[in-house]
Amino acid sequence: MVHYCSKCVYPNSSAVPLGFNENMVCTGCQVSEQRIDIDWNARLERIKKIADEYRVADGSNYDCIIPVSGGKDSWFQTYFVKEVLNLNPLLVTYNGNNYMDVGLRNLRKMREVFGCDHIFFSPNIDLLKKLNRLCFKKMGDMNWHAHCGIFTYPVVAAVQHKVPLIFWGEHGYLDLGGMFSLDDLVEMTAKFRLEHAQRGFDWFDMIDEGENIRAGDLIWARYPTDDQLEEVDIRGIYLGNYVEWDANKQTKEMIEKYGFEVAPEPFERTYRTMSNLDDMHENGIHDYLKFIKFGYGRCSDHCTKDIRLGLMSREQAIEKVRAMDHIKPRDLLRWLAYVEMSEDEFDEIADSFRDPRVWTKTSDGLWEKDNIWGGRSAYPVPKLTSNSSAVPHSLIGV
Amino acid sequence: MLKKRLIPCLFLKNGFLVRSERFTNHQYLGNALHQVERFNAWAVDELIYIDITSDDSYDVGRDDLKIKSEDGALGILEVVAKGCFMPLTFGGRINTVQDISDRVKRGADKVTINSQALRTPDFITESARIFGSQCIIVSIDVATNANGEYEVMSSGGKMPTGKKPVDWAKDAEKLGAGEIFLNSVDRDGTGKGYDLALIKEVADALSIPVIACGGVGQFEDFGLALRDGHADAAAAGNIFHFTELSAKKARKTLIKMGLNVRN
Amino acid sequence: MSTVTTAIVDYGLGNVASVRNALTYLGTEVTLSSDFAVLDQADCLILPGVGSFEDGMKKLQGLDLIPILNELVINKGKPILGICLGMQLMAKRGFENGEFEGLGWIDAEVQKLSVSGVKIPHVGWNETNISRQSKLWPEVPTQCFYYVHSYHMVCNDLSDIAALCHHGKNFTAAIERNNIMGVQFHPEKSQKDGLSVLKAFLTEARGAEILC
Repeated sequence: MVHYCSKCVYPNSSAVPLGFNENMVCTGCQVSEQRIDIDWNARLERIKKIADEYRVADGSNYDCIIPVSGGKDSWFQTYFVKEVLNLNPLLVTYNGNNYMDVGLRNLRKMREVFGCDHIFFSPNIDLLKKLNRLCFKKMGDMNWHAHCGIFTYPVVAAVQHKVPLIFWGEHGYLDLGGMFSLDDLVEMTAKFRLEHAQRGFDWFDMIDEGENIRAGDLIWARYPTDDQLEEVDIRGIYLGNYVEWDANKQTKEMIEKYGFEVAPEPFERTYRTMSNLDDMHENGIHDYLKFIKFGYGRCSDHCTKDIRLGLMSREQAIEKVRAMDHIKPRDLLRWLAYVEMSEDEFDEIADSFRDPRVWTKTSDGLWEKDNIWGGRSAYPVPKLTSNSSAVPHSLIGV
Repeated sequence: MLKKRLIPCLFLKNGFLVRSERFTNHQYLGNALHQVERFNAWAVDELIYIDITSDDSYDVGRDDLKIKSEDGALGILEVVAKGCFMPLTFGGRINTVQDISDRVKRGADKVTINSQALRTPDFITESARIFGSQCIIVSIDVATNANGEYEVMSSGGKMPTGKKPVDWAKDAEKLGAGEIFLNSVDRDGTGKGYDLALIKEVADALSIPVIACGGVGQFEDFGLALRDGHADAAAAGNIFHFTELSAKKARKTLIKMGLNVRN
Repeated sequence: MSTVTTAIVDYGLGNVASVRNALTYLGTEVTLSSDFAVLDQADCLILPGVGSFEDGMKKLQGLDLIPILNELVINKGKPILGICLGMQLMAKRGFENGEFEGLGWIDAEVQKLSVSGVKIPHVGWNETNISRQSKLWPEVPTQCFYYVHSYHMVCNDLSDIAALCHHGKNFTAAIERNNIMGVQFHPEKSQKDGLSVLKAFLTEARGAEILC
């Protein structure tokens, strides 16, 4: 039996650990409500002071590192660090080889529009294909390499360049699930990377696992040791603790001021066009697997954010979730060709990750779960490759 | 010279490591085992695990992680103990001698007992006799009541007992407790600092060690509890999760404050 | 190179799980036993112990372990490491709630650590001053170990003392007499420093470097 937050649309089967109070309000909503009581001006003063401490007076080194994907958040972070904090950042990007055209254009524009140096690190594509396949089989997530790269490579670069300060954006799990309070001023930790970003797996778990991956293929994935972190005095600050984050407002500003581009076509699994342009599978099959595992998807994530920002009612959100969470997206076709896998094999492996807390099989062999709008539905799995035109997404028993 | 101790306290709820606030709000941080790895690497002095689960469900909610759900608190303890080469205290939900034995068998060096000790104080004496005083820590949760006085609370900080913390601590010592774990319900998770007056009152009255907990907002607070509160050990839950190499940084702060802690 | 085998003397006392975990981590094969044949097979012995002197001796007697241990340790010279109460039982006499006879391997008495101005039990990490070279610390100087005890071993033959600790006054932190070694602290609970003591003991037992 899945139950849902009374304010947003998150289920208790959420990928992000959630707690619920006696009114069934989830910890994500509870923490989001803290935003009103925070003195954001005081926070701004505080981050400015921190910036002053780290500014390299003689300009002999960068003042900070900003991990950027080219997405809306990285644009805002870079704008903020340069224009508001007056710092000289080094932009660092991990290239997961899944860029949408518009995402790559946005990324390439950054060093021109903001006037920054930029490291665009690209691992060997053959290795990426192997990791895509292996991690899909191992943990039902072909994008593990990206979670690893994004949280590891910028810190590696920081240690190499001896730049202590790293500016991350929002703390994802704080934002979605209220893992921490906004007063904790939580900073980035190796534990967070390993446990939450990487689900407990690290580079050495990928060696000798049937894909012929060797240690030398994963140099970029090795997080610095504690001694290295201590020597450079690495500090990862989340700007989300110091700025009242509003993705819609911020993106609008980036579009108007600097020419950020949103997706020209709508996504299949969510209504937002400004998110996840840096990785075609993030809103696509990576997220589809979240639905297969836990019964909800990116649309629920975005609706939840917009409910908490007061831009959407729960009823409106439920309608969107009903329409989009379950969609099997067409980027699957690119991925199947990329890693040389059949759709049948993909579906079989995906099904092995269905969470028994959420899904049961009907007597007809269909997967069934509770719905946020009440009742249960069966969700037959459509085939994209057998039918090149419109794919049926009908729900049975709705 | 005997060192003052710095002790992270990990609160477990239904198999999760949680961030605690005023004993009522619990945010889920993840799996307790990942944090143990970090503490081992940072050489903290001891580890205290308190199981604050109120029912029996232990489930991290997903099966696609490298570390799977353990089978209840005892399962978690067994895995933690295998790689924990420092004193390990495991408390919470301990009501009988068998409960203590189950934990000691699986690698706990010490246990904390709380509500059961309040219900039947002889439990302290019996446990100390069987396992040794050094194994029995009496945990005392304190809140300020409507009259502005300190009062001992039971059942997860919810039920007033009418007892004064100093009196109950002295009784516990007489009954055979090896140490006292003193927690402030009001300060828990607030980051406003320890209740130094409370700690000093209890620490000065006892000849057994006192471990202070509840309210740490910055590393200097540890130093204040040890120096001004006369505590023998300073513990905290939340703060260790907020920054990288947190325990190392805390230790550096204490050394700078001139306190006698391990290097 | 074959693994060192260690036997933990099983007499019903002691935090056996912790000791076992540490030894396993160091790569030795560990058994827990009170059987002569099994103890004899092992390369070395550990005598753990948490509790009272009286209880410890009574349990050893009850399991008929005293003649077994005398045979293995005194006659056969098997290396043995006593931990905490385990070390204290090696003394001639113990004075905890009465007077009781110990194993008598070390000319010493176990008395209450009663000094004014300090808290008892002695719980926590304390600096340990190495008084002399020992098989337990081939290279290492002052270290910090974890202690938890209310009684201490007073040695009559000072050459038995390998290390001292201070809590109100100096007391015996470690002893060594030929193949008989003992530590008042808990090496299995003293992280890196503690594990290195255990490793040194195991190395000594095998006579070769252990990889760990």
